[in-house]
Amino acid sequence: MKPEAGDILGTAADQLMGQIAPNLNVHYLQGSLAVQALLLKFAAREYERGADIRFAENADMRALFAELAPNIGDAGLRAQLMAAAATKDTSLAISALNAANAELRRLLIALQIHIEDTGDSAAQKRIWEALNTMASRRVVSLF
Amino acid sequence: MSDALSLALAEYLAKKLQARDLTVHDLARIPGGASRETYRFIARYGGRERRLILRRDPTASLIETERSTEYRAYEAFHKLGLPVPEPIALELGVSALERPFFVMAEVENAFVGSILAPDPYGAHRDKIGQQFWSNLGRIAGADPDALGLADFEGAKDVGNCWRHELARWEKVIDEDEGEPEPIARAAIRWLKRNPPPPAQKIVVVHGDYRSGNFLYDLNGDIRAILDWEMAHLGDPLEDLGWALDPLWAHHDPSRPAGTIPRAEAIALWEQASELKADPAALFWWEIFASVKGCAIWISAAHEYATHRNDDPVNAFSGWYCLAYHNKVLAERLGALA
Repeated sequence: MKPEAGDILGTAADQLMGQIAPNLNVHYLQGSLAVQALLLKFAAREYERGADIRFAENADMRALFAELAPNIGDAGLRAQLMAAAATKDTSLAISALNAANAELRRLLIALQIHIEDTGDSAAQKRIWEALNTMASRRVVSLF
Repeated sequence: MSDALSLALAEYLAKKLQARDLTVHDLARIPGGASRETYRFIARYGGRERRLILRRDPTASLIETERSTEYRAYEAFHKLGLPVPEPIALELGVSALERPFFVMAEVENAFVGSILAPDPYGAHRDKIGQQFWSNLGRIAGADPDALGLADFEGAKDVGNCWRHELARWEKVIDEDEGEPEPIARAAIRWLKRNPPPPAQKIVVVHGDYRSGNFLYDLNGDIRAILDWEMAHLGDPLEDLGWALDPLWAHHDPSRPAGTIPRAEAIALWEQASELKADPAALFWWEIFASVKGCAIWISAAHEYATHRNDDPVNAFSGWYCLAYHNKVLAERLGALA
């Protein structure tokens, strides 16, 4: 079995933190290395979950647009929402998922501003539920 | 550490302190945040030894701040008797050490509580908490004119504090945002639609008063309040909202700053400041604190991603802290929807 990138990053983090940092006699470098090791830990976990987080987030935003678009009075915005809802992620490369994510987020911001202006409290609640789910997925654990 | 820096520092301090025999020893960089390079060193002169700290501008600064602000705050609050390091020298020119810097006394035998630690203050938690919240009240209660800091950057009008600070941090997000941030943007709109009442008075706001930004000793005494570089004039509730933020609570928001229960913390602040923490106004400043956090973390991520400042703390802030504050805002504002 060959090691995955996440395993390599995680092992490197453990070695930096447990073996190399304690043997540095420069306090500043010791602290800096500990942070670098923590970042490697984050990166190790992101290797496993990064594409999944973005794929799920993009799917959630498309579903939200499809759900709310029929009640949007602004014809231009409604058309944008329906068009975005019909798109799909065709690559699981992080860069491709990020590019689609940025476009969807821009549209989500426009949708939320519109909903706030119309005072549709049910739609506002629905958007905040989606934002909460997005934020929860992206939380990074220290442990 | 570079001999050239030691020699240049010694030459500067010899002139500044009128001590021709001054020499610099054991200059070593220490952790001190991503926005300033921090060094510890020993100055020997006149038959004595002083342990000092050098804070020098980095080649690229995370948050652009007026360089003299931190030093002047140390001067003013040191005179007031608050625990801050004794300021020694401020140099705004670039001829001595290539970049502006200041020198202050080292606070010896004292520690910083890591924001990552679950219980950094241990048995001294309550004692440190009482000092922490009372000291913040003393800062809020101090008169900027009497401190000599009335010319600090910030709002001059009690009705404008919130607008001034919100505009400042929204601009940072506008300039440094790497990807659209729907939660921070929604929070900014909420803050604009629901402004707080006017400030009770204009005070000096520390700007980054929190767990992890003070030194304490083995007796549980707070020895130094640090990192005043974002100090400005504004609403006293701004610092309280920031200090109460769950990011600094060591994973237990019921004990803000990892210290004492929230209600006790606010009561101590009110007692020391002789001000009131109106719950609705404080809620606004707590939402603002998380937005300000987002702005700082977005800026940190930008610095790292563009290689202007590759301190790993910037990557950590732009990843862990930003995700954390997005979650805090989504929970708090989602509950109001």
